[in-house]
Amino acid sequence: MFAVKRIGILTGGGDCPGLNGAIRAVVRRGVGAHGCEALGFRNGWRGVMEGDVVPLTADSVRGILHRGGTILGSSAANPYHEGGIDHVRAAFRDLQIDGLIAIGGEGTLGAAANMTEEGLAVIGIPKTIDNDISGTDYCIGFQTAVQVATDAIDRLHSTAESHNRVMLVEVMGRSAGWIALSAGMAGGAHVILIPEHPFDLEEVCGYVRRRHLRGRLFSIVVVAEGVVPRAGAMDLPEYPRDERGFPRFGGIAGLLGPEIERRTGFETRVTVLGHIQRGGTPSAHDRILATRFGIAAIDMAAAGAWGTMVALRGNDVVGIPLKEAVAEVRLVPEELYRVAEVFFGY
Amino acid sequence: MKVGVLTGGGDVPGLNACIKAVTNRASEDGHAVLGIRRGWAGLLECDPDDPDSVAACTIPLDPGVVRTIDRSGGTFLHTSRANPARVRPKEEPGFLRSKDGGDEPQDHTAHVLKVIDRLGIGALIPIGGDDTLSFALRLNDEGVPVVAIPKTMDNDVHGTDYCIGFSTAITRTVNFIHQLRTSAGSHERLAVVEVFGRYSGETSLVSAYLAGVDRAIISEVPFDIERLARLLMKDKVANPSRYAMMTISEGATMLGGEMVMAGTEDAFGHKKLGGVGQVTGEALRELTGEGIIYQQLGYLMRSGTPDSLDLMVAINYAVMASDLVIQGEVGRLVALRNGNYVNVPIAVVRQGVKRVDVGALYDVDNYRPKIRHVDGKPMFLY
Repeated sequence: MFAVKRIGILTGGGDCPGLNGAIRAVVRRGVGAHGCEALGFRNGWRGVMEGDVVPLTADSVRGILHRGGTILGSSAANPYHEGGIDHVRAAFRDLQIDGLIAIGGEGTLGAAANMTEEGLAVIGIPKTIDNDISGTDYCIGFQTAVQVATDAIDRLHSTAESHNRVMLVEVMGRSAGWIALSAGMAGGAHVILIPEHPFDLEEVCGYVRRRHLRGRLFSIVVVAEGVVPRAGAMDLPEYPRDERGFPRFGGIAGLLGPEIERRTGFETRVTVLGHIQRGGTPSAHDRILATRFGIAAIDMAAAGAWGTMVALRGNDVVGIPLKEAVAEVRLVPEELYRVAEVFFGY
Repeated sequence: MKVGVLTGGGDVPGLNACIKAVTNRASEDGHAVLGIRRGWAGLLECDPDDPDSVAACTIPLDPGVVRTIDRSGGTFLHTSRANPARVRPKEEPGFLRSKDGGDEPQDHTAHVLKVIDRLGIGALIPIGGDDTLSFALRLNDEGVPVVAIPKTMDNDVHGTDYCIGFSTAITRTVNFIHQLRTSAGSHERLAVVEVFGRYSGETSLVSAYLAGVDRAIISEVPFDIERLARLLMKDKVANPSRYAMMTISEGATMLGGEMVMAGTEDAFGHKKLGGVGQVTGEALRELTGEGIIYQQLGYLMRSGTPDSLDLMVAINYAVMASDLVIQGEVGRLVALRNGNYVNVPIAVVRQGVKRVDVGALYDVDNYRPKIRHVDGKPMFLY
């Protein structure tokens, strides 16, 4: 077996519940089974570029499994956008690490995939509440976000019903509709809008009107933050872009709500769930997934399987090439949307 | 006797337990209970000559009907913000529509009195906030036997220390604040949490106090954005997790600015509030260069099921109000004062406004709760 004497760990991108579980698993298994040392980089890639590290021991990762966020901190820093790839090489050399386990979403794993091409020893663990990484059925954090959103929808039901209102609930997910679709299905939403399906507001109003005609005077509409109107149906403002050029979503429900109210004449209110979806205690599912991913990642590192991302396929944790995982965004398949659609307007 | 019960204004957790307890208590003594749907709208829109209209606007309640309603949030009777003393012409029911077609709000109190009479309602228990109760007071003045129950998550009804819904709103807010800490900490940001509360800063103050938030901006005290920015940066540096967290009332005002308002006025002349947190967040981003997390908690604070304190108060208020009605002691508001259940003249709701006691509970220089001398104060400090 390939010997790993010292392994680096980082968490990048948006925080999500379950990250600590993955850190804990990597360290516990690495120290226990492989006899290696673990170094945590603070604040994602920024810590790598600045050499900002903390030693991680079995003791320092004790009692963190149930805590949300990440003990290492995170950032959107990307060595490729900030010309720091040489710093990454330097960190490997100066800190004498044999490899790096990068826990992150599209941005972090994309950088990891590029580093693999350049000969650096990296292994990826997919985490994102958006669940949009290819090659894995689930990413760490997604299931907790869906649970939080579902709980919120359950509660908003009572307010919408008491006031005979249309309630728009905007959830995260960037360009993918996983959270909206899952929380919408679980919460019994009456309409779900996802980016994969450009929407026609008139159709949405039609569902709401149909419920009214049948005496159901309130409706819950779940809106993914990244939804787009069907061509020519409605103009949307340009989103501001973040430092990586991705649109900074958020707030579209605030535009759709008044328009639904205007067209239907029914009182409409908007709730944007926002960062509540990322925070808080990870669900049992995410703790277990994070633990399995962490163990698999350090085992793959010990076996020298660099350039791999751990992934869940069915019930099995497998390794897939990082490059394959970041090639494209994983979107909600048509047939799943069709299942949810059965309940629209009823 | 037939006791009418209705819920008006925003929904809060505990209303269903309250409706259930009124029904059970009145039924116990052999009285009939009539639920009125959608607050005052149920009386305004009821045409007593039309059985369909009566069936749409009311629902007879008995212990069987209300058996399971307290297991969920919201209000089983539904609610509205209708104010029969001030009805916009476009909201008038067809049979009441004024002929002149003007825009002036119309007073349809006389119609409501007629409906109460025709439905045989001998006493009315309205459950509501400031606005709902202001019309209850009007009916009281017109001779209708009324015992009012205060509810609002803003806790701003004058004459009582406590309104149904406040505790759950604070419980929720504290939970959400702690959930947001991981995001704020992981990204080392300034987090701005905007809370409902209309013109009262109590939700912001108490949730900040209980969640241990760095700073709390309240409606009662206009704030200086530069001072706030300096304080938050100090908090962030002092925090080992490198973030700072603040709450802000939706009705807060920035010094030199105006209240941030969105939307139109409701029938009681109130603007719909919301959005000051976003403006504050943008200004903080500009001043400090820090990343901001802006979270409006809004409806999530008052939707869903009640906590135990709201159940306790909702049920006790209901029992007390029913007792008063049965004993013929009407024209009262059930209330909590200094930790004790009492009843006071209903006119008290219009004799003042309830706001945060800034001198006693708030540090105006450091924008945070300042709670001292707890000895002798009631449980919720008010």
